Amino acid sequence: MGNKLSWTELRRLLAQRAGSNEKEATLFLTAFNTELIKALKRDKQVKINGLGIFKLQAVAPRKSVNVSTGEQITIEGYNKIVFAPEAGVKELVAQGPQENEEITPLKKLGEQAEEIVDILADLGQSPSGEITPEAPVAEEPVVETPAPEEPVVETPAPEPIPAPEPVVEAPQPTVHEAPKKTQPQPKKYHFLRDTLITVLILLLILAGGYYFLRTQIASILQNLLQPQPTEQVAQPAPEEPVAETPAPAEEVQSKDTVPLEPIFYEDLITIEKIRSGSRLTWMAKRYYGDKMYWPYLYDANRDRITNPSDIAIGTPIRVPRLTAEQMDTTIERSRLRLEQLTREAQEACKN
Amino acid sequence: MLTKELIGNIADATGLSKKRVEELLTANNAIMREKLVAGQAIQLQGLGTLETKERKERTIVHPRTGERSVVPAKSQVVFRPVANIKNELK
Repeated sequence: MGNKLSWTELRRLLAQRAGSNEKEATLFLTAFNTELIKALKRDKQVKINGLGIFKLQAVAPRKSVNVSTGEQITIEGYNKIVFAPEAGVKELVAQGPQENEEITPLKKLGEQAEEIVDILADLGQSPSGEITPEAPVAEEPVVETPAPEEPVVETPAPEPIPAPEPVVEAPQPTVHEAPKKTQPQPKKYHFLRDTLITVLILLLILAGGYYFLRTQIASILQNLLQPQPTEQVAQPAPEEPVAETPAPAEEVQSKDTVPLEPIFYEDLITIEKIRSGSRLTWMAKRYYGDKMYWPYLYDANRDRITNPSDIAIGTPIRVPRLTAEQMDTTIERSRLRLEQLTREAQEACKN
Repeated sequence: MLTKELIGNIADATGLSKKRVEELLTANNAIMREKLVAGQAIQLQGLGTLETKERKERTIVHPRTGERSVVPAKSQVVFRPVANIKNELK
């Protein structure tokens, strides 16, 4: 396989197949080649029934760059010969090389022996239904049979394979012993291997289960140890305890400790109508320099806004002038107020 | 150009009868087919070689759906012209 069918070989085969002499075959083949080229030049395409099409395919000129100088160059267009096999041929070739007794030349001895073993294996498959013992048979007899004996001694398993078997291997082996010995071995081996694999899989599943449940187990344990804290603290604890916990704590603080009287926004910068695409945050950024002050806009327009993230277009928004104190988040009071307003505004977004 | 024309041309060039040329051509095609299916390359002197090339399995992505699928490995017939033919037909 894979080697090249030489010109002379093709000539010989053709002469044989077509029932003519090599002279005629040579004449034909050379004419075939020259005519093919001529036809390609003229028609750009030659169709040969039963084989395929030879085509002349144009490759367009293209630009490229000289690698060493960086200079722009054009690679000129050219024609190339392309062969497209017929549909049937293409499919057959696509399946890959197949054993074809008719054409394959004489095989080497080793190959022939292998083939016979294969055929025997096929034969043995139908009556007994067992393929496994066949493979080792070919090797085993040589090792295990020091003295040639008659296979009549013990023939409990009458299999058709053993009889022709000696043809493959020169020495006359007791073929019956071999399969008997080898038969249970692979089975045992398979059984052991299978159990090992199942145990391994079980272990893996257990380990995986433990890994996934670990965090949950930890949280359950925590709940058992400290049953007092509210759910707010307990649940987010395993996930991100640092980020979440301070927030609720402050909430409690700010709500209880700081009395926040409602602000009356009287000093307005302007009144702006909501247009398509407007955002309170962008307006806050425009008027106050930072989008973080957007809850003040919501606070000043509570009577008109139910959901700050969904305001009707055309709604006039009052933009109040914020005092320096309100905008200074370093002052505890204003910071808390802004935080509370933000919470309220975000709450309103859920409406 | 079609097969019939080619047969006519070859017959003219060789002095063989069209019928004979057709016989030879079909026999030739049969040999080539068998050899190609068996994975053997064929040398056509003064023209080039017809050979099979193995294509590996590869995955493709449908550009619109993003669906991935596997193109199975296969072998293809490839023609490789001789250098001077390549230049002649340039």
